[in-house]
Amino acid sequence: MNQAVRRLAVALFVAFGVLVGAATYHQAVAGPEYRDDPRNARLAAGRTGRERGGIVVSDGTVVARSVADPNDSRVFRRDYAEGALYSHVVGYSSLLFGDTGIEAAWASDLGSGRNSTLSGLLIALTGGDVRPKGLRLTINHELQTTAAAALGDQRGAVVVVDAATGAILTMVASPRYDPNTLLGSGASQAGALLESDPSQPLLNRALNQSYPPGSVFKVITAAAALESGLAGPGTEFADPIALELPGSTATIRNFNRGTCGDGTSVTLEVAFVRSCNTVFGELGLLLGAAQLVEQAEAFGLNRAIPFDLEVLDSRIPPAEEFVNNEAGLAQTALGQRDVQVTPIQMALVAAAVANRGEIMTPYLVSEVVNAEGEVVSETEPARWRRVMSPATADVLAELMERVVTSGTGTNAAVPGVRIAGKTGTAEIPDRAPHSWFIGFGPVQPEEGTSTIAFAIVVESGGTVGDEATGGSVAAPIAAQLMATWMAQQGG
Amino acid sequence: MNRSTEAVLLTSASVLAAMGVALVNLTGGRGPDAQVALTFIVFMLAFGTIHLSVRRWAANASPLLFPLAAFLSALGFTAVYRLDPELAAIQRWSLLVAAGVASLTLFFLRNEGVSVLRRYRYLSLAGAIALLLLPLLPSSWPLGGAEVGGSRLWVRLDLPLAGRTLSFQPGEIAKLLVVVFLASYLADRHQSLAAMRRKIGPISIPEPRQLFPILVAWLVAFGVLIYQRDLGASLLLFSAFIGLIYAATGQTSYLVAGTSLVGLGGIAAYQFFDHVQRRVASWVDPFDDFTGTGYQLAQSLFALGSGSLTGTGLGLGQPNLIPAAATDFVFAAVAEEMGLAGSVAVLAAFALLIAAGFGIALRARDLFRKLLATGLTLVFGVQTILILAGVMRLFPVTGITLPFMSYGGSSLMANMVLLALLARISHGERV
Repeated sequence: MNQAVRRLAVALFVAFGVLVGAATYHQAVAGPEYRDDPRNARLAAGRTGRERGGIVVSDGTVVARSVADPNDSRVFRRDYAEGALYSHVVGYSSLLFGDTGIEAAWASDLGSGRNSTLSGLLIALTGGDVRPKGLRLTINHELQTTAAAALGDQRGAVVVVDAATGAILTMVASPRYDPNTLLGSGASQAGALLESDPSQPLLNRALNQSYPPGSVFKVITAAAALESGLAGPGTEFADPIALELPGSTATIRNFNRGTCGDGTSVTLEVAFVRSCNTVFGELGLLLGAAQLVEQAEAFGLNRAIPFDLEVLDSRIPPAEEFVNNEAGLAQTALGQRDVQVTPIQMALVAAAVANRGEIMTPYLVSEVVNAEGEVVSETEPARWRRVMSPATADVLAELMERVVTSGTGTNAAVPGVRIAGKTGTAEIPDRAPHSWFIGFGPVQPEEGTSTIAFAIVVESGGTVGDEATGGSVAAPIAAQLMATWMAQQGG
Repeated sequence: MNRSTEAVLLTSASVLAAMGVALVNLTGGRGPDAQVALTFIVFMLAFGTIHLSVRRWAANASPLLFPLAAFLSALGFTAVYRLDPELAAIQRWSLLVAAGVASLTLFFLRNEGVSVLRRYRYLSLAGAIALLLLPLLPSSWPLGGAEVGGSRLWVRLDLPLAGRTLSFQPGEIAKLLVVVFLASYLADRHQSLAAMRRKIGPISIPEPRQLFPILVAWLVAFGVLIYQRDLGASLLLFSAFIGLIYAATGQTSYLVAGTSLVGLGGIAAYQFFDHVQRRVASWVDPFDDFTGTGYQLAQSLFALGSGSLTGTGLGLGQPNLIPAAATDFVFAAVAEEMGLAGSVAVLAAFALLIAAGFGIALRARDLFRKLLATGLTLVFGVQTILILAGVMRLFPVTGITLPFMSYGGSSLMANMVLLALLARISHGERV
């Protein structure tokens, strides 16, 4: 009889062995397939279902928050209240497409600490706070709105930075997308449409698209000349109609196809204010590749810009590539050929001039706030790098101010505000040129007012087309930004 | 292992249940609240009562049984609490009542042990049949049947004074009575059933009159299937019967005959009953009719797959997507949030409990107690295997509860009494 009982026991244990095998198969072997099955409602509910911290900008405008599902207090829906305006800053947190922007970079603070780990339990049992933390961004809502409206339907980007702190006040790229469409039902179609859109609305042009800088690069060339002592604002240069390039049949001509000044000689100051290519081409040749590339790298080119979000490196070829290529060197000094820069990089170039030669580390998150609204950490402004001497920066600032008062950038002027800037019109093959304007203002601000530095790029002529220049297309956007900023400072 | 170790293990299980509740609170956005303390107190009270009863009335009983039951109850309770705290509140009461009834069982059996039950053989049988028939009472009566999920296995008792309704599954208690009857009957008849003179080759062939009881059992089981549409209980009762008769006689031919009858019954049921066809169809391919019959099993598989190795974490999965997650499919809910680690722990605990049950049967010195222990372990084991095989798509879903883990007072009480009986049997062997 015991033998029969033993056999029954063995039969049941064999069954248990099969059960363990089945559990292992379903959970470990076939697990991922079940988990990722599109019919598995856990997909949609999973990551978007958790509570995440809210994100506000500097004036308290809510740009991202989690809303509890009325039917299940455990399930949350992410809501991007400002829609497309902040798409390239905040990004999105989507199960189908992953996380981007601040949602990705600050995920550990925004996520909930209710993660069922032993440490999570201990924290909760001892009265600690496991609720997700919120973020306050440095973005200035009015400037952001102004920039977006000013760009309108034109492709391009605007970056505004507080020159003295590195706080990013505006980051707008155009076109944008509404992150709310990437959550919930219809997300996969919406995402597929955005990904296949030739205008690349998902691309953050402020950080991850580089452009030839054109004449805004002359700020860097001029800085190199001033730093090396090779030339000052009053240094005279020859004023030909065209600059013959050694070892090449190519020539460099000015934008107006004429001379820069009276045709005999012209000062560096006048050449800068009028953005004369002939003089800066010659200046590049005089400086040599080593000094020019060194100065550009001092401004941050060929380097990773430390930031909350990933930034494409801006590029200038190494000095060795200009050996026996003086034509290339002269064109590089004008911001053509192989120089490629991102809008944020050029905003930092302007900020370096405004901040007397120093670039502050750019940042986007000013405060981390706990669920009670208490600030748990604050970003301290930090110096990233010194670019040039304060004296050089002061001279450059004067030159740039004259660009706005009497040069190519008069469209950036705002009555009663001292604004400095530099236009750029970057030639590209087969298309209308990109329009640039970089600058800062107010110059030497009154007590209680801070100086903002900005970079504006409008792709392929914007709404103007082939006739577009930095002065006609990009500079007016700067004027709008400055007007908005000064109105705030007055109030 | 001794009684003090048992006390430590029971306390650990109570802590486990309280920690589970605390974790669910934590991930659900609430701090530790009264639920945590309440759960700990109820578990301590329930298993403390049992522990003291065992000490008092079955001091030599195996100390393995109740700690394993407490462990499974703790995991199951956490899963139920996570799915629906209101159900968990009822489950706490059920746990107290079940512990009380188990203790009372030990009290009544304190002098003569389970041998007392042998005398009530036919009363047990009558009771079992009455209980199995109870759900067929008209639903309009104060004590009437109720149909839940297409199966009629519930009895509803209206309490006119309290203005409340009490419902229970009499089948859970009936399965114990059936085992008591069978053990008693077979203890007397095993010799006549085992004696087989005819042979075909190596297999002994029973006389037709020897096959009579097995046919009766088959008809009862089939009746349960027809009238209550309860595939699980039907299979459970019949396999317990076949297993026991095999244990009593050692004749393989009963297993062969029983299995053939199950096969025949299965084919017949498939031919005649829609609900059996649906169960089988959803088992063959749950994704074929994903939004219909296959939905529950598909959700179970999604839950298992989403749980992966270590689970999503308590309160962080979506087990509420599985229909009947708190009852029949509680294993899928545990597997999702505790992962393969959790499922294997559960399987191991069940296997250990069954091993302990068979160990008690093997050590039992008289026939009735040996058969009773075997029968109890069999129904417990087969029930566990049937529902787990259903949840993991090894077998069509049968719609029975997972002992100790599923939400439900009848199931909890029946299984707690089952363990009390096993404990009392093991007490007798360790003098």
